[in-house]
Amino acid sequence: MKPLLECQGLTKKYNNFYALSNLDLTLERGQIVGLLGPNGSGKTTLIKLINGLLIPTDGRVMINSLAPGVETKKLVSYLPERGYLNDHMRVDEILSYFVDFYDNFSIERANAMLKDLEIDTHARLRTLSKGTKEKVQLVLVMSRDAELYILDEPIGGVDPAARDYILHTILTNYNENATILLSTHLITDIENVLDRVIFLQNGQLTLNATVDEIRSKWGKSVDALFREVFKC
Amino acid sequence: MLGKLVKYDLKYGMRIFIVLHAILVTACILGRILFMNQLDFNLKLEAYLSPLILFFSLFLLLFTGIGFGINILLVARFYKNLYTDEGYLTWTLPATATQQLWAKIISGIIWEFSSVLISAASLLILVSGDNVTEAYAQVAADVTKSLGMPITQFGISLLIYSLFGTLGSIVMLYLCVAIGQLFPGHRILCAIVTYFILSAIIQVLSFSLMFAFNIGPGTTAYLASRGMPATHYMVTSFRLGGVMSAIIMIAAYFGVQYIMNKKLNLS
Repeated sequence: MKPLLECQGLTKKYNNFYALSNLDLTLERGQIVGLLGPNGSGKTTLIKLINGLLIPTDGRVMINSLAPGVETKKLVSYLPERGYLNDHMRVDEILSYFVDFYDNFSIERANAMLKDLEIDTHARLRTLSKGTKEKVQLVLVMSRDAELYILDEPIGGVDPAARDYILHTILTNYNENATILLSTHLITDIENVLDRVIFLQNGQLTLNATVDEIRSKWGKSVDALFREVFKC
Repeated sequence: MLGKLVKYDLKYGMRIFIVLHAILVTACILGRILFMNQLDFNLKLEAYLSPLILFFSLFLLLFTGIGFGINILLVARFYKNLYTDEGYLTWTLPATATQQLWAKIISGIIWEFSSVLISAASLLILVSGDNVTEAYAQVAADVTKSLGMPITQFGISLLIYSLFGTLGSIVMLYLCVAIGQLFPGHRILCAIVTYFILSAIIQVLSFSLMFAFNIGPGTTAYLASRGMPATHYMVTSFRLGGVMSAIIMIAAYFGVQYIMNKKLNLS
């Protein structure tokens, strides 16, 4: 079976700064992958390149053997680290928007999650708190039957109780053949759900291993290894 | 997909568009009832000339303001939807960059055309009172002779030219925003500076072409047209302007398309 994500010599340069340098990476289906690294390590750049939001300086990125484009955007469900919805829209208008544009969006699943979270679908986004907006965005992203979910800091701005709900939501709302690529600094919160971790440093891949390998080879948790590798 | 993109682009500015044009239509109806209908053209010209000039100056400002407002609406939608945080959603929709661009062009044409037509209808409301039409009937023959065509035909020609001109200006505005996004910072400022630079280049090119085609001020064709109806020179200039607009529009279109396809760089 062809890999879900393949990066070959992927490079992104801003003036004289390499945000990503000659990155080779392959991800298979059916895993939850933690994309970890300190600030400025290239995590968001990699995510943007996968989503076609940046043009690579060199190398290539393929999703299901296709370069980023219309077909890959149908397969990838992306949650950016920032609010990307029009604040003037009501939640139900945003749901209609997703129904209109994504064939694989399940309105029933979205409504069920919004009900669980007690989010009023008639409310305009600008009237909701930052945390609630983040929950709405996550609901939208996880209500798609995608093959690759890319979640950039999905739990960064919410309280610990909501974090549990969000992680539960992620785990219970994805197809087991799909892959989740999850970028976060809150490693301890997600460590138990990860199958594999990728460490990025200065735009380069420094580790690509399963969580079991890390525990058996280094005898450490992912969080402990991260702190050791990226010690200031 | 294109239809859906256009639908949401139109939905975005609907409220502002309605408010702006409701103000315009209301002002024209009130202007007609409270001012134009009260004018007595049988009086001496000096009796109503000054208030009439002041009145039409105010309305010229209003019409210009509405046109400017629509341009701002288009630019804001293009910029916000494609190059701010909203771009993270827009660019991850299953649509090509070309579809995104065409959605913005089509919605822009619909907004601009609707605005030009509503403005024309509003102007008609303002000047179609019985007292105005009767007064105009007395000078209609002179005006027709001076213009070289009846005023209705002149008005329709201006309307068609305005509609055509808006096409070029929409794509040109989008090009300026897209070029502004190529800079690492101060992107809105860079887009505005780009607009002024491109406008200046186009002005210089227009004047150069007018002289090259012997229709610039002071040229022999210009001087020869002085004895002819006012529209003769205007139509000649409009033809050249139309060709220029078409060239600018095509060049701007390929410029924006190239930037959107090859230089997308969301910060």
